[in-house]
Amino acid sequence: MKKYKEFKIILEPFEPEIVTGLLWDLEITGINEEKDFLVVFADEKSSTGTKGIESILSKLQKEKILRSFSVSESLLEDKNWNEEWEKSIQVVEVDGKIVIKPSFRKYEEKPGQIIITIDPKMSFGTGEHQTTQIMIKLLEKHLIPSCELLDVGSGTGILAIAAVKLGAKNAVAVDIDEWCLMNGLENCRLNNVEDKIDIKQGELKDIEDKKFDMVLANINKNILIEIKNEIRKRLSSKGILILSGLLFSDENDICSHYEPIGFKVIEKMQMKEWIGLVLKWY
Amino acid sequence: MAKKITGFIKLQIPGGKANPSPPVGPALGQKGVNIMEFCKQFNAKTADKDGLIIPVVITVYQDKSFTFITKTPPAAVLLKKATKIESGSAEPNKTKVAKVSKTQVKEIAELKMPDLNAGSVEAAMSMVAGTARSMGITVEE
Repeated sequence: MKKYKEFKIILEPFEPEIVTGLLWDLEITGINEEKDFLVVFADEKSSTGTKGIESILSKLQKEKILRSFSVSESLLEDKNWNEEWEKSIQVVEVDGKIVIKPSFRKYEEKPGQIIITIDPKMSFGTGEHQTTQIMIKLLEKHLIPSCELLDVGSGTGILAIAAVKLGAKNAVAVDIDEWCLMNGLENCRLNNVEDKIDIKQGELKDIEDKKFDMVLANINKNILIEIKNEIRKRLSSKGILILSGLLFSDENDICSHYEPIGFKVIEKMQMKEWIGLVLKWY
Repeated sequence: MAKKITGFIKLQIPGGKANPSPPVGPALGQKGVNIMEFCKQFNAKTADKDGLIIPVVITVYQDKSFTFITKTPPAAVLLKKATKIESGSAEPNKTKVAKVSKTQVKEIAELKMPDLNAGSVEAAMSMVAGTARSMGITVEE
């Protein structure tokens, strides 16, 4: 599992506003500002170390902004930080037909229902989020029977699993995050669809060069704009693309990037501030 | 009735790039907050500030739900933006990397007043000017 360097910084006087801005000159992943100390994180492989931090703080000491400081370093192993929250996950009935539940919750299945079991751990895609619900509802409506489907930014694998259970022939699910590979495989096994879904870790450009009848991507505006041409390359002519992870205010930006490359929005769905768009490539 | 607040979490992360690794994962996880939900919301709402360092204050409620507000970037980040430099000088006394006007220092000081332990704009300006000097940025009189 990936490890992180963790630096605890005590300052006198405690001036987080001044110090934190300077620490971003180093290769760090983020800062947690506690009540009277700072915790700075850096990738284990980064060059950031206690000496570099002390050098920045010394400069502030010379400027008489700090009187004194101390820095202590330790190593933190990445883990499923979501464990505490996971205990509170409830069963979600997306609509009358599709139900999403964690493996530890019981649910009495009604005739005609499709049950999807998801233990999310550290991956995106629980049934609780509006964007996942939008994607599933739009998928249900627009699914091409026996299609070959690509799920980009697959997270827990929830959309690929839903697609296969709704009638897709097979699916490739790709995500750059290493958690998603393990977690996606686990969730495929929980739903007995491991023979129909190929979970891959990597970028869209890394996967096999073939066309899909449908592409799903629930990510965010910037990435969806960045990968628009890669998505188009993977979609068959007259194929269906469903996008989400978008706020209501993102619609114009997305359309201004996707329409010039041949896509047309054929449906929009909104839940609270989030939207999903169905696009067809002509 | 208003929901009961159980705590606040203050983080600094790049806009549009929150992910469940530290600091987000451990800070939110120990309070039982849905980490992925936070990342999704934060990234969508800061998509237009891609990569800019964003301080965020997350309010956690008794039912584990949360709200968050984003604040203006730290003074040093604003100084870098104002002077169009990537990073400060390794030897600020010897090598100067940029210049900043007193008006710019005042603007940053006024913007950052609520976040500094400074009693007056002059005290805040003094801190911002000191930060600039520690980065090898000359403050013009």
